[in-house]
Amino acid sequence: MTMYKEIVEKRVDKALADDFLRKATRRATDRLRLGKFKAAQDLGDWEDWRLAGEAIRTQVVANLDFYLKQLIEQVEKNGGHVHLAKTPVEAVDIVRKLVHEHDAKNVIKSKSMVSEEIHLNSALESEGVSVIETDLGEYIIQVAGEPPSHIIVPAMHKTRQQVADLFEPIAGHTLSSDTPTLTKFVRQEMREKFLHGDIGITGCNFAVANTGSIVMVTNEGNGRMVSTLPRVQITLMGMERIVPSFRELDVLLNLLGRSATGQRLSSYTTILTPPKHSSDSDGPEEFHLVILDHNRSEILGDTTFRRALNCIRCGACFNVCPVYRQIGGHAYGSVYAGPIGSVITPLLEKDWDKWGHLPYFSTLCGACTEGCPVRIPLHDLLVKLRARKTLSGHTPQIEKRIFQGYRYMFTHEKRLRQALRMGAHLQRPFVKHERIVGGPPPLSNWTKSRTLPMVASKSFMQMWSELKLSEKSSNSDPIQ
Amino acid sequence: MTTPSDFISQLATKLGRSTPSQTPDPVPIHVPEYRLSGPEERATVFLHNWQALGGKGAIVKSTDETVQCLKEWFGELPLDRPAQQAIVAWDLLPTIAESAFTTLNWPLVRYPQSALDTRERYAIAAQAELGVTGADWGIALSGTVVMNSNPQRGRAVSLLPPRHLTFIETSKLQDNLFEVLEAISATGSPPAAIELITGPSRTSDIEMDLSIGVHGPVEVCVLLIEDELKD
Amino acid sequence: MKVSLFATCLTNAFYPEVDLTMAKILKYLGHTVDVPEGQACCGQIAFNSGYISDAREVARTLIDSFEHSEIVVGPSGSCIGMIHHYYPFLFENDPVYLAKAHDLIGKSYEFTQFLVDILKQPDLGAKYSAKATYHPSCHATRFLEIVEPPLKLLEHVKGLELLPLPEAQLCCGFGGTFSVKIPKISEAMVAEKAEHVLASGADLLLGLDMGCLMNISGYLEKINKPVKTMHIIQLLGEGMQG
Repeated sequence: MTMYKEIVEKRVDKALADDFLRKATRRATDRLRLGKFKAAQDLGDWEDWRLAGEAIRTQVVANLDFYLKQLIEQVEKNGGHVHLAKTPVEAVDIVRKLVHEHDAKNVIKSKSMVSEEIHLNSALESEGVSVIETDLGEYIIQVAGEPPSHIIVPAMHKTRQQVADLFEPIAGHTLSSDTPTLTKFVRQEMREKFLHGDIGITGCNFAVANTGSIVMVTNEGNGRMVSTLPRVQITLMGMERIVPSFRELDVLLNLLGRSATGQRLSSYTTILTPPKHSSDSDGPEEFHLVILDHNRSEILGDTTFRRALNCIRCGACFNVCPVYRQIGGHAYGSVYAGPIGSVITPLLEKDWDKWGHLPYFSTLCGACTEGCPVRIPLHDLLVKLRARKTLSGHTPQIEKRIFQGYRYMFTHEKRLRQALRMGAHLQRPFVKHERIVGGPPPLSNWTKSRTLPMVASKSFMQMWSELKLSEKSSNSDPIQ
Repeated sequence: MTTPSDFISQLATKLGRSTPSQTPDPVPIHVPEYRLSGPEERATVFLHNWQALGGKGAIVKSTDETVQCLKEWFGELPLDRPAQQAIVAWDLLPTIAESAFTTLNWPLVRYPQSALDTRERYAIAAQAELGVTGADWGIALSGTVVMNSNPQRGRAVSLLPPRHLTFIETSKLQDNLFEVLEAISATGSPPAAIELITGPSRTSDIEMDLSIGVHGPVEVCVLLIEDELKD
Repeated sequence: MKVSLFATCLTNAFYPEVDLTMAKILKYLGHTVDVPEGQACCGQIAFNSGYISDAREVARTLIDSFEHSEIVVGPSGSCIGMIHHYYPFLFENDPVYLAKAHDLIGKSYEFTQFLVDILKQPDLGAKYSAKATYHPSCHATRFLEIVEPPLKLLEHVKGLELLPLPEAQLCCGFGGTFSVKIPKISEAMVAEKAEHVLASGADLLLGLDMGCLMNISGYLEKINKPVKTMHIIQLLGEGMQG
């Protein structure tokens, strides 16, 4: 517990000390937030779209058994193979087995948060398989050996000079740090890899249940490369990532592009119904869909948190979160950061010691809820997670006692009145220029960076009682 | 590994039932519809949005106009030398496109027939200067071209060359995404790939600095062929 | 009207003049004001920390104290927001108190909302010369959708020039126990808020929640760039005397 507490604090300290990270986070989230605001304008009433998005996601999740069954049947009917994984370990094993069966040496990947969730790359690499992340941002952090710091802009925390430094050993010569040079280098570097990939691994933004289609949204075109060129395609999806049909897909694609990057549609929206038809001139001949549970079924069965499964992974909550804005993604420590990450990580990982800090990474200001395109009440879920953690006995003894004391005092106003009278006296040693300074923790946590007003010599309740008494005795209204 | 039936029945249990639900009723969707006044506005809005994303675009009525446009856009490139196989294309392009390339004497390599082996086809597409395709639909609101895969086409044509040129008849333009998805649904089972392309390949992954052409085409061009108009 | 005041725990202990001024203004407008005994706190501090049962008992005490009130008005969007937004959840398994909670929700208002939306009295004839900026507190804005009322009240204060606060939508970093539980992130947040307050060019910071104002002004004082800070109630109170 303490060990994790220290780790969390260290991560936060590191983030807060990183000026570039903090500036970059502000810049990126501001830009994405304003972009979303602009793009939402041309759809008519954005609230109508949010309501529709919420209704669609809620209905899918409430009927996930039906839709998942339909999806599995459709994919198999189309000639694809479906693999179901209860745990991350199972999912990794499935992919590993497929890689070995095909004797694949070169695996190319487009963005998949599920692959981060199951830590796929390290597992494959440890067996000598080359796995290349092809999304530019993902590639940068892969080379750097870091997790993503933003769900949409994973390498947001890197300067262009840092990127150039990372790429130079690969290029074998010096690279100037301007963006076009770096982009061009990656284009050349990746081309060969795309053309010689044995297996392509993709993520999945939506799976269409009634057609068995996979919808992938990218801007760079790497998703198309990975799902077109290799002979074998493996797609990883969290089991809740379903839409019933193309009708609902329209609403969710409109919400996703705008919420994620402020685009009406991302550069490439690809609707795949693999494998390729026998006479098609390109496309994968073999298709495997790996569907991951990883405690999602537990969330499904928990009506308090079920709505967390409605998420469409757009990152809009990151871009409005005032906490994320200050610390970026790595300080959370989890694969999924930001408000949604703080909600789902404790539920997916089920480890309060390791992830119990996440629900507290929020002032409960509600900006996340307001920004969510499918109206997930994120701040409510965060506060309910805190309650869940407290009930499970994972909060510190001292905190429990503090709130017992609070309850004792604030259920009896007379006790409180007395305590405030005492407080007005007891504060004296800490008072300087009519402000409380210093003091013991947790008070000092406040006074280190802020002054605190003095406890009033008379509380309002006290004041009011006295005024009422004098009103009675003098028969006039003293507060006019 | 878990079998599908076990997996599904576990979910049903979590949802408080013994077997999966029957076909659920689709949710009612009430969203404002994006509508344009007619074909002319549709073409204008499409072009405006396409160009706003950095794409080149023009409306053409005849082979001559098409030739003019192609010369202007690609005249600098070595597209007229057969040995270079600089242009890859689908087997069949709209008539106006075919006759324009014939007039210009720019040889087209037909991608599906270009090699027997898939990897060789990729190599041909990858070294080409320009990929030329048609399209099944366009979306005015977002400035998007939409193409289905089929044996006479090829997904790599719009992906591997640094430039992609699409010919699309104005009658194929729609106002919004919903209409296109509805049209796809109406065709029954979807093809192996439907590509919705909205501008050039782009990334803002380095310092949020927009950079064009990281993996897909650097330059995207559309020629709208004015044909019999919709409505 | 017969109005019962909800003296929130923070104003009661640290800023009694805010509660008192609220009483004076309502009396001035011709209403009967009472302050039911027994009230102490909405319970938010425990609720937000995950101590639901402690919060529930404190909330019960508050509900009881206002049981016979006709209208309840408080000087905080956050505390009233707690009642409106979370009491139904807090008492979901207690039908008796759930009904009482809904009764309280139906009759309780944040002060500016009560003045403008219910009493329709945005103009109190106040005068106050200052260049001010207004911080829209998150709970008032997002839980109670109180956007216009405070601005309307300020518009009618003669001599007051209202300057826009950059990035006004950002939380100030208070968050109740958040400020002491994760003090470093909280400090980073309030530091940014303070930057924006200073950049606004205002010499007076206004708000409708003392929690946020205590946080922002406390930070500005600490860095030796104090900006005069007032609850809208205080501004109106002073302005009406002038």
